Amino acid sequence: MAIIEIRNLTKDFRVGFWKKRPVRALDNLSLDVRRGDVFGFLGPNGAGKTTTLKLLMGLLRATSGSAHILGEPVDSVAMRRRIGYLPENPYFYDYLTPEELLTYVGRLFGIRQPALGKKVRSLLERVGLAEAGGLQLRKFSKGMIQRIGVAQAIINDPEVVFLDEPMSGLDPLGRREVRDVIVSMKDQGVTVFFSSHILPDVEALCDRVAILRKGRLQAVGALEEILTMKIEAHEIILTRVRPEDTDRLRSMCETLSTIGDRLHLRASSSRQVQQILAHALANDAELISVNPVRPSLEDYFLHEVGAGQDGAPRE
Amino acid sequence: MRILAIAGNTFRENIRDKILYNLILFALIMILSSIALGQLTLGLEAKMIIDLGLTSVSVFGTLIAVFIGISLVYKEMEKRTVYALLAKPVHRWEFIVGKYLGLLFTLLVNVVIMTVGVALTLLYQGGTEPATFLRLLPAVYLIYVSLALTTALALVFSTFSTPALSALFTLFLWVIGHFNADLLQFATLTKSTTVGWIAKSLYYALPNFSNFTTLDSRNIIQSAAHSQAVDAGAVLWVTAYGLLYCAGLVAVAIMVFSRRDFK
Amino acid sequence: MTGLAATASRNRVWFFAAAFLLCSAMIKPVQDRVDARFARSPSVDPDMLYFASPAAVKSLSLGYQSLLADLYWIRAVQYYGRREEAARRQVRYKNLAALLDITTTLDPQMMDVYRAGSSFLAEPEPVGAGQPEESLKLLDKGIGFYPDDWRLRFDKGFVYFWALKDFRKAGQVWLETSRMRSAPPWMEGLAAMALSRGGEVETARALWERQYQNSSSREVKENAKNHLLSMQVDEMLWTVEFLAGRYAERRGGYPARLDDLVRAGYLKAVPVDPSGVPFDYDPHSGKATLSPGTRVRYLKVPYDYRDAFLQKLSSIFPK
Repeated sequence: MAIIEIRNLTKDFRVGFWKKRPVRALDNLSLDVRRGDVFGFLGPNGAGKTTTLKLLMGLLRATSGSAHILGEPVDSVAMRRRIGYLPENPYFYDYLTPEELLTYVGRLFGIRQPALGKKVRSLLERVGLAEAGGLQLRKFSKGMIQRIGVAQAIINDPEVVFLDEPMSGLDPLGRREVRDVIVSMKDQGVTVFFSSHILPDVEALCDRVAILRKGRLQAVGALEEILTMKIEAHEIILTRVRPEDTDRLRSMCETLSTIGDRLHLRASSSRQVQQILAHALANDAELISVNPVRPSLEDYFLHEVGAGQDGAPRE
Repeated sequence: MRILAIAGNTFRENIRDKILYNLILFALIMILSSIALGQLTLGLEAKMIIDLGLTSVSVFGTLIAVFIGISLVYKEMEKRTVYALLAKPVHRWEFIVGKYLGLLFTLLVNVVIMTVGVALTLLYQGGTEPATFLRLLPAVYLIYVSLALTTALALVFSTFSTPALSALFTLFLWVIGHFNADLLQFATLTKSTTVGWIAKSLYYALPNFSNFTTLDSRNIIQSAAHSQAVDAGAVLWVTAYGLLYCAGLVAVAIMVFSRRDFK
Repeated sequence: MTGLAATASRNRVWFFAAAFLLCSAMIKPVQDRVDARFARSPSVDPDMLYFASPAAVKSLSLGYQSLLADLYWIRAVQYYGRREEAARRQVRYKNLAALLDITTTLDPQMMDVYRAGSSFLAEPEPVGAGQPEESLKLLDKGIGFYPDDWRLRFDKGFVYFWALKDFRKAGQVWLETSRMRSAPPWMEGLAAMALSRGGEVETARALWERQYQNSSSREVKENAKNHLLSMQVDEMLWTVEFLAGRYAERRGGYPARLDDLVRAGYLKAVPVDPSGVPFDYDPHSGKATLSPGTRVRYLKVPYDYRDAFLQKLSSIFPK
């Protein structure tokens, strides 16, 4: 059974003073997340990522549909003992020190002294806040807040962790540290569900992703599946191409660039590949390699998601 | 217990918000009054100290109850600290009860320190019998119960209303709550039965703060100032009223809070 | 910030600091102007704000009526003994009774207010308000709340006695008070003294006699006896004076000796004082006095019923 199970989850918000016009923030989302996966949740602003996370945390009530975590409905308080959550742009009580905050959270989980004290100290070390333990949170930088946020999300050694934009506001060093934490969690068998804008991170970390746009699920699956979906680009490297052929070839491909004495051509369909190869071989060019181009998630994003947005026709 | 953790944190927040600095103002008042008194009142020093002291306990306490109470829940929602909290294994009702008890505890500390201050001023003035000190206690107790009720009112408003409106409504109800006797009288005097019925319903529905200021037709601060004992039975019944009304209000707060979406 | 920018911002600071100082300096003269306009009209009541009906003030007090009572009392105390020009004073004293009424409605248990307040009211101007009727009203209010307290009734009698010069009423009040269980033993004597000044001599005498017979205290008995004897002495002296006057009218001169009055048939015997010592007689004035060798403890309390007594004598001894 999936560790996170979302079925037809829909959320309408009533906007306007007389609460007449409902705005559908999430439309019929269905999703499964397997145990042990690092699951990435992507989408442009306003796509419904944070809404989904809040619905999972019981901060919002669904208009229709259901969601289960660890087999329990999302409003189960008992289930929350086994999960962790880091909200987007988190804010914690600024008059507390990180040590006090973690101790407070620990008490809410029912962790007692002296185990609690030890755990708090080791957590602070793990997120790199050991020296700042006595400073009030109001004096923390955004990066430090994010770190304490991660710490309070994992203090109970959860089985599933939900992170809303965990890298936001962090410098590259901070992002690296969060990535390391996520990786170490994965190694420990913890399921990680996180939303992010930072696509390279998602690419590097996630086993599976879901892409949301305007409240609807656009695509879901393993990264490779998504990225190879509908995009069959190949890179063809030729050499010893006669100058007059270059123009001809240019018209047959997407892009052409010259690097040294080699021509790099990018073909976007198998038909183009065939055309190019036929022409090249017929004209005594030498084929160095033909490789499928694995597009980046960013390309996919801009292509699929961005194109769909402004209504331009897709290929 | 989780409720105690939340209550303890609320208390810590109040302390760090330096709310207890109000005690400094109180101390100043007591000191100045005990010095200035001799010049003014021709021999009513003890009464004035008690009147001033207990009135201050009530006024300062009410202001604290209102101004901190109205942001008990609102602040958490506005600053979004409530997000991380409610994702923990905490019931929504535990959150409300914890915040409420936390402020009640802050008020208790405030009231106790002030009462000790009054007692010290009396000692400094000299010539007060031990019985008078004891007779301060019922008045202080009833003032505290009225503060708990004020806090509960503020708590309810803080679950759905902005601080400005909440302060207005809470203070309004507090003032109205002292005129309940007039409302009842109006109900008996009016000729129209409908209006009388409405007035009588309002009498029972609105928080009756005069229960806590007047016991057996005598003002409780006045009784303490004249070193008079009060009827324990009356105190018990008034406490029951306070408990019931507070419990009801907390239940309302929990209901409102449970239905909330946190956008 | 360096150079020009720094200088500009520093100048700005100085400008606003100067503005603040200027405003502060102007506050006092402006306030004084405001006050002067106010002071010029003494008919404007500075305490207007304090007044509403006592019941209204009480129900508006939101449970803090005890402290409010103290504040009103402080205000009343500030009135007492201030020497201001007549116009201001008029206004203040007009307010005093109302202030005290509100105070005692807010807290009816302030004994000091009833006592000192009624004293303020009864005391003649300029020290007090000179309003004995209001004083009596206040005392009656206090007595209503403290029916068993003798001191308030004592104060009431005093207002009648000193401020209203109604000695009979004073005596009546004190007489009633003396019958209370808590009343001090001298109350009866006080009543007697007042009653006699009010013309009720026989009542006074009866009171002294009763005190003398019923009291277990030696001092009180002694005092009652002395009062009775003093009354006797006074009556004897006045009688001598009267008869000497009649003698003079008939014979053209006062008698040379008291003996002469006996020989002329006005008196049965030469009068002696209650201790048996003969009176001294001055033939030039026709008046007798107590001999210094008397054993009567004469109390120089002004029993002011001389005229009434002489009138009685006139009716017994017509010309």
